[in-house]
Amino acid sequence: MILIVLRTVGGFGNDAACCCRAFVVLVWMSVCAGAVDFEKDVQPIFRDRCIDCHGADEQNSQFRLDRLSVMLSGGNSGEPAIVPGKTEASYLLKLVKREEPGWEMPPDEPLSDDEIGLIENWIADGAAVPENYGPAKPDVELDHWSFRPITRARDVDGIDGFIELKLQEHGLQCSQQAPRHVLIRRLFLVMLGIPPTPEQVAEFESDPRDDAWQRLVETVLASPQYGERWASHWLDLVRFGETDGFETNRERPSAWHYRDWVIQSLNDDKPYDQFVREQIAGDALGVDVATGFLVAGPNDIVKGKDPKLGLVQRMNELDDMINTTGTAFLGLTTGCARCHNHKFDPISQRDYYSMQAVFAGVQHGERPLPLSDEARQRLMEVNAEIADLTQKLEQFIPNEPLASTKTNAADADQERRPAVNAKRNVERVVPTLARFVRFTIEKTSGAQACIDELEIYSGGENVALASVGATASSSGDFQHPLHKLEHINDGRYGNARSWISSSDSGGWVQIELTKPVMIDRIVWGRDRQSKYSDRLATAYRIESATVPDQWTLLASSADRRPLDPAQTADQKYQFVGVSKDLEDRGRRWLKQLESSQALKAKLEESQRVYAGTFSQPGPTYRLYRGEPGATREMVGPDTIQVFARLDLTQDAPEQSRRLAFADWITSKENPLTARVIVNRLWQFHFGTGIVDTPSDFGTNGAPPSHPELLDWLSSELIENRWSLKHIHRLILNSRAWRQDSRPNRAALEVDANSRLLWRFPPRRCEAETIRDSILTVSGKLNLDNRGGPGFSAFAVQLENVRHYHPKDKYGPEDWRRMIYMTKVRQEKDQVFGVFDCPDASMVVPKRSRSTTPLQALSLLNSNFVMQQAEIFAKRLTDQSESTSEMVVHAWRYCFSRDPTPEELADSESFIADQGLTQFTRAMLNANEFVFIP
Amino acid sequence: MNQFLDRRNFLANAASGLGGIALANLLQQQNLLAAGQSIAPKIDPSRPFAARPPHHQAAAKNVLVIFCAGACSQVDTFDYKPELVKRHGQPMPGAENLVTFQGEQGMLTKSPWEFKPRGESGKMVSELLPQLAELSDDMCFIHSLTGKTNTHGPGENFMSTGYTLDGFPSMGAWTTWALGTENENLPAYVAISDPRGTPQSSVNNWGPGFLPAAFQGTEFNAIKPLGNLDVPDGTSVSTDKTTRQFLKRLNERHLKQFPGDSELAARISSYELAARMQLSVPEVTDLSTESQTTLRAYGADQTENPLKAQFARNCILARRLLEQGVRFVQLFNGAYQTGGEGVSNWDGHKSILDQYSKHGPVLDQPCAALLRDMKQRGLLQDTLVVWMTEFGRMPTFQKGASGRDHNPDGFTAWMMGAGVKAPFTYGATDEFSHKAIENIATVYDFHATILHLLGLDHKRLTYYHNGFERRLTDVHGEVIKQVLA
Repeated sequence: MILIVLRTVGGFGNDAACCCRAFVVLVWMSVCAGAVDFEKDVQPIFRDRCIDCHGADEQNSQFRLDRLSVMLSGGNSGEPAIVPGKTEASYLLKLVKREEPGWEMPPDEPLSDDEIGLIENWIADGAAVPENYGPAKPDVELDHWSFRPITRARDVDGIDGFIELKLQEHGLQCSQQAPRHVLIRRLFLVMLGIPPTPEQVAEFESDPRDDAWQRLVETVLASPQYGERWASHWLDLVRFGETDGFETNRERPSAWHYRDWVIQSLNDDKPYDQFVREQIAGDALGVDVATGFLVAGPNDIVKGKDPKLGLVQRMNELDDMINTTGTAFLGLTTGCARCHNHKFDPISQRDYYSMQAVFAGVQHGERPLPLSDEARQRLMEVNAEIADLTQKLEQFIPNEPLASTKTNAADADQERRPAVNAKRNVERVVPTLARFVRFTIEKTSGAQACIDELEIYSGGENVALASVGATASSSGDFQHPLHKLEHINDGRYGNARSWISSSDSGGWVQIELTKPVMIDRIVWGRDRQSKYSDRLATAYRIESATVPDQWTLLASSADRRPLDPAQTADQKYQFVGVSKDLEDRGRRWLKQLESSQALKAKLEESQRVYAGTFSQPGPTYRLYRGEPGATREMVGPDTIQVFARLDLTQDAPEQSRRLAFADWITSKENPLTARVIVNRLWQFHFGTGIVDTPSDFGTNGAPPSHPELLDWLSSELIENRWSLKHIHRLILNSRAWRQDSRPNRAALEVDANSRLLWRFPPRRCEAETIRDSILTVSGKLNLDNRGGPGFSAFAVQLENVRHYHPKDKYGPEDWRRMIYMTKVRQEKDQVFGVFDCPDASMVVPKRSRSTTPLQALSLLNSNFVMQQAEIFAKRLTDQSESTSEMVVHAWRYCFSRDPTPEELADSESFIADQGLTQFTRAMLNANEFVFIP
Repeated sequence: MNQFLDRRNFLANAASGLGGIALANLLQQQNLLAAGQSIAPKIDPSRPFAARPPHHQAAAKNVLVIFCAGACSQVDTFDYKPELVKRHGQPMPGAENLVTFQGEQGMLTKSPWEFKPRGESGKMVSELLPQLAELSDDMCFIHSLTGKTNTHGPGENFMSTGYTLDGFPSMGAWTTWALGTENENLPAYVAISDPRGTPQSSVNNWGPGFLPAAFQGTEFNAIKPLGNLDVPDGTSVSTDKTTRQFLKRLNERHLKQFPGDSELAARISSYELAARMQLSVPEVTDLSTESQTTLRAYGADQTENPLKAQFARNCILARRLLEQGVRFVQLFNGAYQTGGEGVSNWDGHKSILDQYSKHGPVLDQPCAALLRDMKQRGLLQDTLVVWMTEFGRMPTFQKGASGRDHNPDGFTAWMMGAGVKAPFTYGATDEFSHKAIENIATVYDFHATILHLLGLDHKRLTYYHNGFERRLTDVHGEVIKQVLA
């Protein structure tokens, strides 16, 4: 056994030289005894009042007063209990002086003032202790099994050698090999998440070659459906969602890139170490999409004005990254050390904040990706097209009718102007000298009005822009991070750069220009990006003034036609009064322009990915009890100290922190990374991992059932360029995986959970596999529609706080694999969500597997399943000459086997009685259909 | 039929049970340190909702949570402050630098509703909720609750799950996981959402978090039926029954290959339970058997205020569910934000007078009628009623507005019914109702108390997830003994 020696003392911080110096002082102090004699004056107090709970027998809060190293480093609080010579920094004194509410020590009777005085003087004098209190920095042995280096057992018969040895110890043995139709069905469900076709089953069953199985395994590993199936496990583990969560639960329309990257990486068999590195620091490795990992979790976008709240939210964001990184890659519950030293594992609070410093520059949000050459070329072409068409269309821009300055509609003596629309409204006004322009909202289409930009033109120039010096003011602003007064003249369009009035009517927004200017046009809209049409100002007036409060009406809604809810776009181009030929051409150009603009938006959209943004962070501090106000010493970016050091300075460049951290996780010396991932693979094959606490390999986690096997697989992974497919191959080709799944009473009594693998443990499929299987047997699953934006299980109501209403009608756009269903946090798919689908609020290393009546109701009665039952019935009819043939086909599709005579007879008479759709409905509900055999 | 399905065998095998649900408990049993203290419910995978014994003698069997979404102001309802009336229109000391959720403070502002002494206890309650006020003698008020967030989503999460973050099990999920239910023909845990929609953090309020999905609250109300409950269009009830019998035959033949596999057996049972639910749920949601007197008492007959009438029907539904032995019922008053703040819930930032004048009557009569009805029918003897909201509101108006900002530093909840002292008032806020100062209670304490009343020790009701022995109360909370009867 090899031991790692710990070389640090928490209480003294990072600086090793400092530790040594302090140690020397202590030794020196113990030679020249000061005013207080520890053994005579202080030790008796500790012995009588403290040692019962903080000594050799018990170490409450992992603190003891009979070991110098612990006295210096402190207990769970993370605070150094004793800092020699520094009474004010010694946490012990705070507790005995009862200055920490809830942590008064001793908890019963307080120490007397004299006693406290003695301890205080002893600390002030340097806190000398006798030699039997041990050294200031302990040599800690990392002897927990998962912290030791991986050791590879020699001369073993692969996986089966380890499994059979353990079975023998318990008087058990492997079951016989499962029949071929079971094997291929199991292989497809486990590896691809869909059942095999009847043709695939028949082909394998009749394959005479010795290596028929090995060939089938290779085919499956090469299938693109493999990545789609196994990405689902990974996305659970990293809490990947495509909405923000919390109350607003807004969409993240560009988050799907990360999902596709995971699928592609698995299909490419990207070496696992590279897979990990790219997720933490892909921006440094030319794989920008991969850092979607860092920000795949929920994020509270409602920030409020209370600064305390903001800090807590930021700490929570970082905690999510630290905790996900720790559990997913290392199997360590690093999040436990946020408020105190880890209770079970050697992770100090200081370590936690060192890791926080690693991620401190990561923010949630979209990041533009570097354009591909191809996209850049295409964008240039599209821009040229747009310029050309815009020019051609110029002739169709009518002279905007002048706005009337009459306030009563009946008085409006000219033709009515078009109704207001949500996108863009032009107010052409009689050229007027103005210094102030005020837009007053009298009525809205509902709630307080929203304006995304208020433009004031003098000739061709927008003089309202803040960037040219104009300033905005208002009667009151709606409080929201997306809607701010400064957005009214920031030159940027769209809902996210808009202003909302604080009142439903009578509110105004005003622009003060730098000097009086002749203005001729005012342009405004609710949302120039046409995503929103609510909160539209329907009755308004626009006034100008050269001196404050001397308003003159410029334009109003009085001479506009009434609001037409159907009309949302502006009518910039008008094709009246020209020849039919020209009109046709004009309309064609407009159509082309619109499609070019859409294409341009799409090209630009695809360049932005929800993969986080990065900036150089300020200093990071350890926080006492994790409270944002209680800053302690500054810490630099680092790993968990007992394992390794990153050797970075406290102000190391942001990207270098993540890169160094990723390198440490994936170094071959790291004992955890390989063990954790091979255990996960094992779990998804057999239902339970070799370690049953897949994200906790610490001392509080479960011990491995087959430790040598775990190490053997780990070393296989590392030695085979971290190839996950290599591990799959080893597992799939083992006898353990290929054995039958039927139980036997004797073995059940010894090992009811089949942990020792005397059989292949059968289990219910996950939600995704059930849904994809239904679509497979009905023939509707579109396997070619891979990647890209997902399909939605909901009709989304676009309020500030999003509402997701489950769809109940389905069509071909929904008949993709469920991995492509947009992952909405909190809300689950109405039909399949009840099958223990996680909602991406939390990391899920292993799904629960429950059985409920609501699942039964979903599969029996939902529109989704009934529609598929009908389609499946039609498929059977189309493919069969007789009822018995339909039954045989159905059996082959659903169960990968032929029916027994009893099953055939029962089915035939049921179909005769109740019809084919009721039969297919029952088949899709059968245990055999939804279980991995 | 299947010799391994019976309960005796299950219990004999409980320590190594095969079923999916049992796996989670297994983890707990295998997981040493912290789990040493925990009491894991023994769950029969074929009957996950069967009633299970509590940790200790329970004062309450069932729970009704009335949740006012949007943060209902304690200042305008239950927390009377004469000093606030006196200093109306003056600045609040120390408020000049105080920045709350939406920003700066205006002046101290008394409630637009007058407070009056109620019942024999003389408890001062405002005129906003006159009928609920009359029930003060039956209420146990906690005026000193303190929260950890002043944002709605996290606030609802905190009140319903004990964590401000998403993804933790709701109180109802913990309760039904621990105790199962007395009536397996109905969902063990029902969330009745407001007629206007779900609350702000939606499903989180009744989510299962990392507990098995079986323990998620089932959402429906008097106008929105339980999804997928009805037999599909075009399938007659008798055809449906025949199909389920055919399915059962399929499954039983398959089970013969896997004798003793309780997960397969559990799935067969779940279809039988589903069939029973298809009969029981429409029965319990059918209010046509309620008398005109009852409908009138709840306000369910009011045509001039359809929202109130709809909420009243939800209140009647709540009573019917509790009568049928449903373990945990959440009744929401107020929905998500729509049409602006405080329009569809209690988020009175802008103009509290206008907004609460609409919300008060919707809540008051139906809810008071529900409580009176429950009392009259003896339901309060074994049902604990808890009224709560995400946090309180400020005694000041917001600068430039006529409403109150969020305030998690001192707010009110009340309890009623089984196991709680009434009339009783626990804890107090300062002279303005800004911060809790006397017997300060955390939400953890509040949750610990609710679990205690259900016979559950909040420190021992734990579930292993991802390296943690999780609890409803995290690592905090003490039972508030003073409020126990």
